[in-house]
Amino acid sequence: MNTFGMAVLIGLVGIFCILDSRLLGRLNFEQPLITSAIVGLLLGNPTAGLASGATIELMSMGLVQVGAAVPPDMCMAGIIATAFAILTSADPQTAVAIAVPIAVLGQLLGVLFRTVIAGLGHAADAAIDEGEFKKVTNYHIVWGTVLYSLMYFIPIFLAIYLGTGFVQNLVDAIPAWFTNGLDFAAKLLTAYGLALLLSMMMNKGMMAFFLVGFFVCAYGGLSVTAISIFGVLVAIILTTLRFGKDSRPALGSDEDHDSLEDDD
Amino acid sequence: MANTTTQTGHDTPTTAMQSGPKDSIPVSASKRCRQFFWRSWAIQDSWNYERQMNMGFLYGIAPTIDRLYPDENDPQQVEKRKEAYKRHMAFYNCTPQTSAFVLGLSSSMEEEYACDPEHFDPETINAVKTSLMGPLSGIGDSFFQGTIRVIAFGLGASLAAQGSFLGPILAMVISAAFSIPITYYCGKFGYEMGNSYLERLQHGAMEKVMYACGIVGLMAIGGMVATMVDITTPATFASGTLELQSVLDQIFPQMLSIAAVMVMYGLIKKNVKTGWLLVICILGGILLSACGVLA
Repeated sequence: MNTFGMAVLIGLVGIFCILDSRLLGRLNFEQPLITSAIVGLLLGNPTAGLASGATIELMSMGLVQVGAAVPPDMCMAGIIATAFAILTSADPQTAVAIAVPIAVLGQLLGVLFRTVIAGLGHAADAAIDEGEFKKVTNYHIVWGTVLYSLMYFIPIFLAIYLGTGFVQNLVDAIPAWFTNGLDFAAKLLTAYGLALLLSMMMNKGMMAFFLVGFFVCAYGGLSVTAISIFGVLVAIILTTLRFGKDSRPALGSDEDHDSLEDDD
Repeated sequence: MANTTTQTGHDTPTTAMQSGPKDSIPVSASKRCRQFFWRSWAIQDSWNYERQMNMGFLYGIAPTIDRLYPDENDPQQVEKRKEAYKRHMAFYNCTPQTSAFVLGLSSSMEEEYACDPEHFDPETINAVKTSLMGPLSGIGDSFFQGTIRVIAFGLGASLAAQGSFLGPILAMVISAAFSIPITYYCGKFGYEMGNSYLERLQHGAMEKVMYACGIVGLMAIGGMVATMVDITTPATFASGTLELQSVLDQIFPQMLSIAAVMVMYGLIKKNVKTGWLLVICILGGILLSACGVLA
């Protein structure tokens, strides 16, 4: 098999990897343990694939993508590193060393891509105004799938096709101020998203609740789950005080829904 | 009316529309659950930094909306459908598996609104979504990413290191074994719970729900600002001996994060165009960071 054919094959593994979290609700099929094994099978060296997968998996175990935070992209890195390890007969440890700069590059690409793809939302807004409903959902399910697939296929294909040295040079060539700037821009965009949410929820006299949530988490280091649980309790207490004892718990506070007490 | 598929009769929304033809497609409970299932799995398909999973949620609830306002030639129904589509373009972010619950609940609320537009404030739907996504992603992420993933892949990696192909296979099986039933029943229970709650809601009770959801939602947003934005400044004074960040931290922690959100909030309230806000975020962000003002 020539380099081009292999690059295409490994790129397809990349598409499988990204679509796990896009279309399958993140079944964790994207993890290096799985994808490295597939790369090993495709390149005819399943044992080396398994070994690389186990090593990279343990290395990336602590990195979880939750909410808007993008950790170094070990999923993409795992695929490329395993392919390099097998193609150059390197041991899994070398593969891991290659994986780190690629993971950082993948993270940068992910941040940039997830910023740019916000444009799809604006195209969808316009399509709603025109009453093109099919188009609206297609922006999500067709365009989203295609663009995310390309976002994984292209860099993996290029990395395999053009080789390790090129990847390393590319990482070295990106100035630090640009990388840091993109990181900060991502934070500002998160702030913008939350401000949008705030402008939607804010009613007269409700500002205090937002500030309570903020300060309790900022000072106390509470998680969003914890503050939500307190929020539900505060909501139950205040709703009871304000509207009388008969008040039913709010829809949002279904935690205290007791099916045994339904018939009152 | 052909809709006899649900016990509760909530699937008869077109009766509320005098002019609408009675050709809305009946849908079986199992088809509806399947739609919640697959579409909440696909909720991240257009994930972006601005409104995150908003289009994913819209994609999930679109079949319900389309069933409620099926007539493309009736301007009144088209208007209602546009309104509903726009409603679900709002910011949304939640673990895909537990999102099925929100999807089910919101769908039954949309049906309720279509039946009784006079007494049902549609703003309630987004308020409920917002107040649920915090706790549900907290629970979902820590369960699926924190617990199941670590167990499945810790086990799988140790088997794979011994050269056994059982490693990756076992990891896949464990992940799917939890993900599939939880997503399915989240959607089913969400929809059914919506029905049983909404039936009980008197018309005056909406104010109560809005108030309670507002409290939960706003407190959760406050928490997200404190934990998810994390803006700091690397600036120093007096030749590096005085760090501005530690001075700010002494006043109160995460001060710059809430300041950034409040500035954005102010700009949104002033109706500054979204495109400009995105440019401000990206170019301004790179500039501020490069000058060493913020990070």
